[in-house]
Amino acid sequence: MRLIAKFAKDVENSFEIVTVFDTKTQKETIDKNTPIALSIAHKYPSALWYERKIFDDFGIVFTNSFDTRPLLHHERFPQDVHPLQKSFTAKTIEFTDFRPYKYKTVGGDGVFEVAVGPIHAGIIEPGHFQFSQDGERMLHLDIRHFYTHRGIEKMVQNKSLLDARAIVGRISGNESVAYQTAYMDIISQASNTALPVEIKSYHALLLEFERLIHHVSDIGFIPNDAGFSAALSFASKLAEDSRRIFKQLTGHRFGFDAVSFKIPNFNHQEFLNFLNELHKEIKWFETWIKGVPSLWDRFDTTGILTHTKAVKYDSVGVMARASGVALDRRDNDFYKQHGFKIALQTSGDVAARFSLRIMEIYNSIEMMKSLLQDIKPLHVKVPVKFNNGSYQTFIESSIGELFMSVDVSGGLIDRFFVRDPSHVNWQVVHAMMLKDIIADFPLINKSCDLSYAGNDL
Amino acid sequence: MINFIRKRIQTGILTEKIETNNKLDNIKKGIKTLVNKKFAGSLAIRMVDSGSCNACEAECNALSNPYYNLESLGIYFVASPRHADILLVSGVLTSNMYHHLLEAKEQVPSLKWIITLGDCPLMQSVFEKTYAIMAPVQDHIEVTHHIPGCPPQPDEIIKELLKFLKKI
Repeated sequence: MRLIAKFAKDVENSFEIVTVFDTKTQKETIDKNTPIALSIAHKYPSALWYERKIFDDFGIVFTNSFDTRPLLHHERFPQDVHPLQKSFTAKTIEFTDFRPYKYKTVGGDGVFEVAVGPIHAGIIEPGHFQFSQDGERMLHLDIRHFYTHRGIEKMVQNKSLLDARAIVGRISGNESVAYQTAYMDIISQASNTALPVEIKSYHALLLEFERLIHHVSDIGFIPNDAGFSAALSFASKLAEDSRRIFKQLTGHRFGFDAVSFKIPNFNHQEFLNFLNELHKEIKWFETWIKGVPSLWDRFDTTGILTHTKAVKYDSVGVMARASGVALDRRDNDFYKQHGFKIALQTSGDVAARFSLRIMEIYNSIEMMKSLLQDIKPLHVKVPVKFNNGSYQTFIESSIGELFMSVDVSGGLIDRFFVRDPSHVNWQVVHAMMLKDIIADFPLINKSCDLSYAGNDL
Repeated sequence: MINFIRKRIQTGILTEKIETNNKLDNIKKGIKTLVNKKFAGSLAIRMVDSGSCNACEAECNALSNPYYNLESLGIYFVASPRHADILLVSGVLTSNMYHHLLEAKEQVPSLKWIITLGDCPLMQSVFEKTYAIMAPVQDHIEVTHHIPGCPPQPDEIIKELLKFLKKI
């Protein structure tokens, strides 16, 4: 069984822990007076972050866990404050004295530590990496995130489903369309209205476009981290072209608020020309980059995520597929009729993730061309009435499988939970670099290109 | 290699070819003159994400693409606050980033300027106050200039940088 997510809810007199597997969902009631539960992290290592998060959010203790360090709450966050309990309503917290965080490190003669972050050398999001080093060789990496934790789950609580749309669409800038599409599915489930196929196709087109832009910028940034900056110049030009077209299409360079109940009028022919042109440029790029042996010398066998580890840590998305795990939420009839073909690689190294992105760019272009034929300007009525209930959905974002679960009560959000693909994948990164030197880390990290904001919420 | 050189010649210089927008050209000239005058030709920016969604960061990265080519104006994004003239702050300033931002600000040599990027640092975006958010940033540190937008587009950032250069 694959663990998809584990999260808790505050239901009047007790807590409820929901564990979502690919084949079943388990629910467990926890007494509020003795909030104790059993950990499943021994069997499912990726449960660790979920359980540590549940402790910080709700105060539920996992007694047999091998890691009970705080996750969201950093050095000065007040102890005994668990913000997702419904009784917690404060909008500010009082910082306490500094309590050092205990990094997991390797000891021994000559072994030293390298601390990186939260503020990094490039223009990227904040996160901390603690390396245990034997010279250049990485012995262990302890990743610590949640610097961009904004309390999204609390923020949208008690908002109407429609009011929270703008916030949900801005949780992670790189995956905005994926979040919006997932949320749109929740809205249509809760209002018991099926979206017409034209609108579904339009949303799918935007999602593929977002994936394409994400992959195109990555195929520039990955070689750049191996010191090959010409690729970045080339790919960042294509990414900028794409963003400009994305703005023409949606009115926004990142597609914020673009997933809605209407399809705007746009010139299909111009869009097709753009796709064809892009396809040609990527083709040229591929031939060129595959003929640079010094670059592949850095890519090949670097940062290997083995198939065994990928399965053990329930990895999803690009990282899983590059290690031969055939897991893609688009693997269904709707996408297949538009030409979806699952992209797979087996070596699990930087080269595999890089090549996989190129494969997915071609497939996205092909699907967008097909989806375009279903699309015409359309308006549907915005639903106003929402039924109480618990709704779940899955979307394949540009990083991987996104899971969203929303409980609606009286038309308002009672519990909003979203599990970004990055949240699962970050937990396996430490197992990918035991054969590499620290200078390879930026390259390995970029080849995964996980989100910090989506992970931190 | 021959293919690369051929492609290079065919593509030409995009910075001039595509941006025929005279307005932006004038702005770029203005920036170059002021950077030369006030910063001896090089202005170093250190960007700190204090809890953003990554869109502002993506737009700052886009400033280095061939179309905008910000470095040709003498403006650089640097790796350490200690090399910076300006601290560029995006995001809603989370409680987990608060002390790190103050630390980064301390590390910027004087004279220093703080610029806020995007609607988040001023709490003007869609995000609402929670226990984990400490914005508005100007309640905690002195801000010289603000670049509005969600996120501000690269050309808007360039325009606002000119306004900032005129202001100081």
